[in-house]
Amino acid sequence: MSIASDEFGGPAPPRRFKSPAPERSSGAGDTIFKGLTGAMAALVLIVMGGAALAMLWGGLLAFKTFGLRFLWSSDWDAVAHKFGAFVPIYGTLVTSAIAIVMAVPISFGIAIFLTELAPKWLRGPVGTAIELLAAVPSIIYGMWGLFVFVPFVATYLEPWMNDHVGTLPIIGPLFSGPPIGIGMLTAGTILAIMILPFITAVMRDVFGAVPAELKESAVALGSTTWEVISHVSLPYTRSAVVGAIFLGLGRSLGETMAVTFVLGNAHDFSLSLFMPGNSIAAAIANEFTEADSPLYVSSLIALGFLLFVVTFIVLALAKLMLLRLGRMEGAKT
Amino acid sequence: MTAHSAKAMRGIILRRQIANAAVLVAASASTLFGLFWLAWILWTTVSKGAAALKPALFTQMTPPPGTEGGLLNAFAGSLAMIVMAVIIGTPVGILAGTWLAEFARRTHLGAAIRFVNDILLSAPSIVIGLFVYELAVRPVGHFSGYAGSVALAMILLPVVVRTSDEALQLVPDPMREAALALGLPRWKITTKVVYRAASTGILTGVLLAVARISGETAPLLFTALNNQYWTNNLGNPLANVPVVIFQFALSPYDSWHALAWAGALIVTLFVLTLGIIARAAFRQRHLNG
Amino acid sequence: MDDGAHQPDRPANAREDAPVAAAKIRIRDLDFYYGKLRALKKVSVDFPANTISAIIGPSGCGKSTLLRTVNGIYELYPGQRASGEILLDGEDVLNRRYSRSRLRKNVGMVFQKPTPFVLSIYENIAFPIRHYEALSRAEMNDRVEEVLSQAVLWDEVKDKLKRSALALSGGQQQRLCIARTLAVRPEVLLLDEPTSALDPISTARIEQLLVELAKRYTILIVTHNLQQAARISQRVAFMLAGELIETDDRERFFVNPRDSRTSDYVTGRFG
Repeated sequence: MSIASDEFGGPAPPRRFKSPAPERSSGAGDTIFKGLTGAMAALVLIVMGGAALAMLWGGLLAFKTFGLRFLWSSDWDAVAHKFGAFVPIYGTLVTSAIAIVMAVPISFGIAIFLTELAPKWLRGPVGTAIELLAAVPSIIYGMWGLFVFVPFVATYLEPWMNDHVGTLPIIGPLFSGPPIGIGMLTAGTILAIMILPFITAVMRDVFGAVPAELKESAVALGSTTWEVISHVSLPYTRSAVVGAIFLGLGRSLGETMAVTFVLGNAHDFSLSLFMPGNSIAAAIANEFTEADSPLYVSSLIALGFLLFVVTFIVLALAKLMLLRLGRMEGAKT
Repeated sequence: MTAHSAKAMRGIILRRQIANAAVLVAASASTLFGLFWLAWILWTTVSKGAAALKPALFTQMTPPPGTEGGLLNAFAGSLAMIVMAVIIGTPVGILAGTWLAEFARRTHLGAAIRFVNDILLSAPSIVIGLFVYELAVRPVGHFSGYAGSVALAMILLPVVVRTSDEALQLVPDPMREAALALGLPRWKITTKVVYRAASTGILTGVLLAVARISGETAPLLFTALNNQYWTNNLGNPLANVPVVIFQFALSPYDSWHALAWAGALIVTLFVLTLGIIARAAFRQRHLNG
Repeated sequence: MDDGAHQPDRPANAREDAPVAAAKIRIRDLDFYYGKLRALKKVSVDFPANTISAIIGPSGCGKSTLLRTVNGIYELYPGQRASGEILLDGEDVLNRRYSRSRLRKNVGMVFQKPTPFVLSIYENIAFPIRHYEALSRAEMNDRVEEVLSQAVLWDEVKDKLKRSALALSGGQQQRLCIARTLAVRPEVLLLDEPTSALDPISTARIEQLLVELAKRYTILIVTHNLQQAARISQRVAFMLAGELIETDDRERFFVNPRDSRTSDYVTGRFG
């Protein structure tokens, strides 16, 4: 085999090649590398599976003792060893519902502002500011909630609502009660602020994914900005918008610290949103270290398992809906 | 066009424009509303926290109820657990992201792992805490700093996996091809060429993950819990800032409340600073091309 | 279909520039598939040593695909496969027993967009060398200087070898990529539209460089620029829809092509 000469600059120095058969060693190197990285990737699945199994295991005692009754019993008696998940489940669902109802329209508005309304120089700073809401640790929300927001609600908001909304038919009982500030309404409001940036971020990305040609052709026909959004962007991104909402829901269901401070850790059911209640995460956080019997601990872990299953389903649905938009985008390009 | 229909058309157009204006006003109002809450929360944190700042924070341990003290053991414990979590979770996360980006870009298995990873990313951290409780606390019968580190590592992991995956995919394929054309094996191409090119993105991801775990409280409640004193043994329950804030804030003591606010301010500043650094690094990379 | 393999050895005076050269690369009945799509159809062609051979043809004709089979770079992607024979100095490189490492050491490739590694200029060259040879610091310095000089880049970068390669201009980066390819001592250079992303001055520099390099290397260049092919090549191969239509010496190819499709392409009837 001819070899390119090394005449350039003088006689060729003797060449020393490294270890023989570089092919074989790099073949082994590649196999090891692929195996190692693959094992690490599999670890992700193992963590997920492990978490589910661990909690199922830990909650087994409670599930076996109470059976399905666990889901709708509102007992919670540490002394009598009777536990039921109804109040925490109810509180979780209600506070998250409040959060979604409040956060979605506002997130929508912010997303519209950032994508259609704001001048270019304003988009960056405002967008960053909204993202800061997501960066603030949830315990800060909890502290602000307890020390600042709760007094405000107790002094101004709840009395006002008692007078003006509590008297309305049907929804009245929801909005009347002792104005102590701590309760499901306050918790739901704080949750709303917490999930706002997440829903906004996804909606922003989603609106940005609408092909410019579609929007431009609507504008060329004389549509106003709002009409472009409602007639072009929203239909195009419909499932992704729902996905964004589910994402916010998934996060609010599992939120612990913000809610623990302001929900009140009550174990009695009450209809009024002004009353203290409980959520799954808050109950676990508040009572775990004091749980003194195996059944108590198991009941709390069983609650955790329920939370895990519900959030998994909600987040999986969110992901599927968001993926659908990605596929549409891919198909177009 | 008759005068009547022209007028009708003007009416329709006017209605549409009013609707449009109303929506845009509402959008602006929503934005102001959102920013208002941010401002209120940050202002509270800064004012109450700054009022409680004192040098003793960094020199004294957490005090018994009703007395003055500092947060030294809490800072040390948090720092130790964050560092351990980074040591445990970052290599795993980067390697997992490497597998996804280099060998599984369009495979079903890759899609499945990315799916699960994203769910893990948004999953309630309290669940992770319970998992590590079953794994590392119940078997040995006591809380420990090690358990806390493992819990934080599990929260850090999906963030690093995702950001590494994305950063590596951004490296253009021609660069890989050029390295392959020179005869280099895949593992060398990935570690020496691709990692170099994606280093800023990967580092940004790690910074964001650290910011995320710095404020996590719930998982630590079931793993490291808290410790009133300084300990050099990570096998003991370990003081940490978030749980200290949690316990002090919910107590009836003013001195404890003040410490809680001071801790809250410092955690917030730490997290926001990390976020700013991460963004700046990201932007710098884009400028350099 | 006429191809180089069936032409008799020509007397020395029939060629003006390159010396009489035996075929360095012989391709026989090469098929290539992207999944189910057949991109190359029984391509057979010879490429002589120490010659610049240009592979031309309209977009999608398979010229890049052909180039990429020679050094096996397509193996990076699942679903792409080749069958047939590619003989490099008589050995079939499509045969798995020809080690990939050895193949890519012997056959270097330069891409359309410059692909410097995110390393210093010095490291861009030293790093690939280290995979094959253990050189002392002085030897490495010499080698770096040698290939950078061959690539006509040495004078421009000799003072900033430790600076990032990304700081160079496009034309400089491409010359760096050429130097890097030369550093591992190949015998064949494959260039896939190496100047299409560059300005005319950089293009001229690189063309000059290639002509000089052809004295020691066998060069295959894919180009959609007919003038470039006319300027620098000694052999030209024309491809259309995955088939090799015609290959010949440059003069004959442009002035008197055998196939009507070739003359149509060369005169711009289609492109």
